[in-house]
Amino acid sequence: MPVLELRKITKVFPGVVANDRVSLTLERGEIVALLGENGAGKTTLMNVLFGLLPADSGEILVDGSVVKIKSPRHAIDLGIGMVHQHFMLIELLTVTENIVLGHEPAHFGVIDFATARAKVAELSKRYGLAVDPDARIMDLSVGAQQRVEILKALYQGARVLILDEPTAVLTPQEVRELFEVIDALVAEGLSVVFITHKLEEVLAVADRIVVVRDGTVVGETTPAETDDAGLACMMVGRDVVLRVEKGPSTCGGKVLEVDHLCVKDDRHLETVRSVTFSVCGGEIVAIAGVSGNGQTELIESIVGLRRPSGGSIQLKGEDITHASARRSIETGVSHIPEDRQRRGLILEFDIAENLVLGDHRHPPYARHGIMHRRAIGEGALKRVEDYDIRTPSVHVLASNLSGGNQQKVVVAREIGRGPELLVAAQPTRGLDVGSIEFVHRQILNERDAGKAVLLISLELEEVLSLADRIYVMFEGQLVHEFAAGEADADTLGYYMTGGGSKKFGVVSDDATNDDERTEGDE
Amino acid sequence: MSDSKEGTSRGGFALKILKGVGTPFFAVLLAVALGSLIMWLSGYDAVAAFRALYLGSFGTPKAIGDTLLRSTPLILTGLGLAYGFKANLFNIGAEGQLFMGGLTAAWLGVLIGTLPWYAAVPILIVAAMIAGAAWAFVPAILKAKIGAHEVITTMMFTYIAKYIVSWLVVGPLKAPGPIPQTNQIAPSAVLPRIQSLFSPETLQSFPFLALGRAHTGIFIAVIAAVVVWFMLKYTTLGYENRAVGLNPSAAETGGISVAATTVKALCISGALAGIAGAVEVMGVHGRIFDQFSSGFGFTGIAVALLAKNHPIGVIPAAILFGALSAGAGTMQLEAEVPQKIILIIQALVIFFVAADEVFTWKVKRRQKEAVSSVQ
Amino acid sequence: MFSSIITPDLFASALRMATPLALAAIGGTICERSGVVNIALEGMMLTGAFFGTVLTLATGSPWIGVLAGILSGVVVAAIHAFASINLRADQVVSGTAINILALGVTGFMMERLYGHPGTTDPSAMLRPIFNFPDPAGFMGGVWHWINVVVFSHTPIVYIAIIIAIFAQWAMYKTRWGLRLRALGEHPRAADTVGINVLRGRWVAVLISGGLAGLAGANLTLEQVGSFTENMTNGRGFIALAANIFGRWTPVGSYLASLLFGFADALQIKLQAFRGQIDIPPQFFLMLPYVLTVIVLAGVIGRSIGPAAVGKPYEKE
Repeated sequence: MPVLELRKITKVFPGVVANDRVSLTLERGEIVALLGENGAGKTTLMNVLFGLLPADSGEILVDGSVVKIKSPRHAIDLGIGMVHQHFMLIELLTVTENIVLGHEPAHFGVIDFATARAKVAELSKRYGLAVDPDARIMDLSVGAQQRVEILKALYQGARVLILDEPTAVLTPQEVRELFEVIDALVAEGLSVVFITHKLEEVLAVADRIVVVRDGTVVGETTPAETDDAGLACMMVGRDVVLRVEKGPSTCGGKVLEVDHLCVKDDRHLETVRSVTFSVCGGEIVAIAGVSGNGQTELIESIVGLRRPSGGSIQLKGEDITHASARRSIETGVSHIPEDRQRRGLILEFDIAENLVLGDHRHPPYARHGIMHRRAIGEGALKRVEDYDIRTPSVHVLASNLSGGNQQKVVVAREIGRGPELLVAAQPTRGLDVGSIEFVHRQILNERDAGKAVLLISLELEEVLSLADRIYVMFEGQLVHEFAAGEADADTLGYYMTGGGSKKFGVVSDDATNDDERTEGDE
Repeated sequence: MSDSKEGTSRGGFALKILKGVGTPFFAVLLAVALGSLIMWLSGYDAVAAFRALYLGSFGTPKAIGDTLLRSTPLILTGLGLAYGFKANLFNIGAEGQLFMGGLTAAWLGVLIGTLPWYAAVPILIVAAMIAGAAWAFVPAILKAKIGAHEVITTMMFTYIAKYIVSWLVVGPLKAPGPIPQTNQIAPSAVLPRIQSLFSPETLQSFPFLALGRAHTGIFIAVIAAVVVWFMLKYTTLGYENRAVGLNPSAAETGGISVAATTVKALCISGALAGIAGAVEVMGVHGRIFDQFSSGFGFTGIAVALLAKNHPIGVIPAAILFGALSAGAGTMQLEAEVPQKIILIIQALVIFFVAADEVFTWKVKRRQKEAVSSVQ
Repeated sequence: MFSSIITPDLFASALRMATPLALAAIGGTICERSGVVNIALEGMMLTGAFFGTVLTLATGSPWIGVLAGILSGVVVAAIHAFASINLRADQVVSGTAINILALGVTGFMMERLYGHPGTTDPSAMLRPIFNFPDPAGFMGGVWHWINVVVFSHTPIVYIAIIIAIFAQWAMYKTRWGLRLRALGEHPRAADTVGINVLRGRWVAVLISGGLAGLAGANLTLEQVGSFTENMTNGRGFIALAANIFGRWTPVGSYLASLLFGFADALQIKLQAFRGQIDIPPQFFLMLPYVLTVIVLAGVIGRSIGPAAVGKPYEKE
């Protein structure tokens, strides 16, 4: 009998049916992939399974008996463990403290740290998940943190492990290592549900694939019976263009020139170490890299949100090294931030007020400090039309828009400003396929119009598809440059994990860095 | 402090006001009901108490005048608190800024004796604004630069302000005589009583104009409310203020300086509290002494919250609390209920308004959750 | 003059003045570590002070007064907990409302119970525990210092030190402490491992109320001997600053409170020399408040509290 079965699970939110009679079975020792694009309802389904949300109707069966899962604690007791997309780890605490939290070995309330560490070491060895029990989470790499999350689930006695978009933040090599871990877990008798929107991974690791679209199961298949085009078609319901078509690029003069730039992060560590590159008008330059290698600080210094500690940044000859965000915008830099809800939009403002953010001091929206509401409204109407933002009115609050439409507002604002340089950070994160296509089209239009585009993305597919030139960033340095067509995911992955720095003898003092990293890392 | 701006069409303006007023209205009702319960449980005659309260606040033109008198500084401190709240700043130290504004008005008011009223009054008001803003400046900088919580810093500055005033009225600025107070300000600096603007014949024909001690400062307060409303809605300064209050990260990405906006917001808030102090000195006492403010700065918190931080809404909210204050004396006299019950009612109002935000917030969150969980 | 300022009773006085601050600050530490801001320490302290006196006047026993002080603090904390945790109201606003409520309730009840505002009659107080004599001779001089600074205190002063040490140990070595810290950093993570976030926070808030109430009882039953309206006079806010300065740890809060207590004791001592130094008394009285601002300004870098402090927690 199946170890886990979901029968006709339905979950409704005001205005949207997230799950519509979804059924799923999981056998012991099986790896089932739950595939669907962003917004298909996969995470909602798993939240129901894990007790974070109550189902409106349907049943869940564990080992053949019906259960009502009322809370995560209940799910854990039933042997269901979940590794969330955004880790549930407490940065200030150590690996051991995080793993045993909630189930601490103790005598009369006093924690027995020795036993705790021993248990962690034992589990770590058994499943091949190397961690430093005393390291603090905040000092670990993302891959290491994920291992801690998996160990946490195992410590709590999981027999079913749910992995929600586990590869979003991993390099290709780390993804392969994760797959090995999954195989080891399954060999020990665990069952795995693997939630993702990435087709190649599903084909590589799953025993069975369940495809979800708009809240319902639209098909079930195995890797033997299908390929990525077939899966994409099931996922989206129509033929999907997997690669964007674009013409060759022509360099129309240097727009962005970054020279020996050095930037420190919030902890005063140098995360951008003497970076030099340039972007021409009419080309898309992408920087690929594992998150945390300095990309965020690099972008922040270019758009004026962080002061560099050395080097220079020039926009069409004008020095913007120490320019504030305001001056950067006024000089011609636009920024699509990676977190649209935190940095991109003010959710409690309406669409019109969000569309003028950054231009709210200038005509036609404002003169002498007084804002012209009518001009703002008219400008907003035009943008909504030009950028296909689905909304009944420009006075709808941004919080009421879908993720895709929210991103369209940000894109409309940043591109609509007519910048010389567009900096786009993770521009399609969390978006459905239709919105992704739209954003890619907008970026390409900018490039074709002769503007410079700097793209930072974790999605190698996106990078390979859009970029004219690709840099790989590792430990604060640009370790290699590729022209379009020269690289593939594996090569990029190699450089993203440091292959390039050693080979090309890049100047760095990461001899010591490497040592510190390896302790908590591999 | 969220900006509950609903994106409705033009026709829903009246509905919007009704919606906005609905929940604060119930908050007040509940608070008054609970206050009555407390009174009754303590053995007081709640009915007689409220009758006396009404008499003392709205029963006669003079009582209405008393209400307006006490509402005047509350409108101003309420505005100050509201403006700060819009930027997500809690200027709990409005009382201290009020003191400094009043002090400045009392001191300068003595010195400018020769100027005519249309010069003296604006000068004193502006000076009080500067004093109030200056008193908020250090906490503002500390918040902007190192994130020091403005509740603690402005509170400390309030105690310091009170001690400074306490020293000055017995020391350097002391007027001759036994009472610790400053000299009387010049007549041109005094804000006249409203009823003094009319001739005795007019007052006889229209008795409702005999508003007792109510003074023209109320017009200054109302004008300030309109100005602040305009600022928040139609100026770049107001836009940036609201943006920083709602989402400082996004505001920063949009080129707004969070630090500068923070400093401006607290200083403007302090300036408004400063005007409150000046108006109290110029319209009521003519001088400053230790206890010249009966907690107007703190009551302003309740006023702002009740008005949901809307500058125009501050006016009726201030009148409510002004009425409570005006009627409290009568209540103590007639029904023997201690005036402190007013503080209890004030606290209850704040509770019910703060808790009430949950209802609208809960609905908004459910919509948002529906949208985001489908990502 | 210097030698008449640096006397043993200056330090003893510093410890005494620090005690209510420390108790409230430790309460603040525990509360904020769980993720709830507690601006209402001032109001809880005032309530504890009031009911401490009332029950002592009524029963004649200061220990019953202490108990009353603690319990009244807990009751007030329950209001804050309910508003902040269950109703998810803004925590700073809720705390402020409590401060106003405490002022109103204590003033109202004073008139109701005693017929007049201002100050109550004096009540019985808690006496110092130890009473060692001072022998004569050189060692006597040293012993005199130790005797006064360490052994001249009333019970709650010692209780405060014990609580500081115990709370510090508990926070880092027990289950409760680990979970408490988790609540303030990442409540959702704690929720997903089965920890009851709401209950954990409630407990923390109630503890802070009890400690603040104890602080108030210390004020009336060990220091002053009667209750005056608004007698806490900002101590609750200074306690908040002490918690920040002490980096959200119980021992840190205690030590920071010692600093403020010392300033307070020094200020009182210096007042006696007003004849010789021509500074008005108000400037001495200002000292603790100015010091608080300086301390907050000098805290190096941004004062980083628990990551999730102040944000209400909602289960999805």
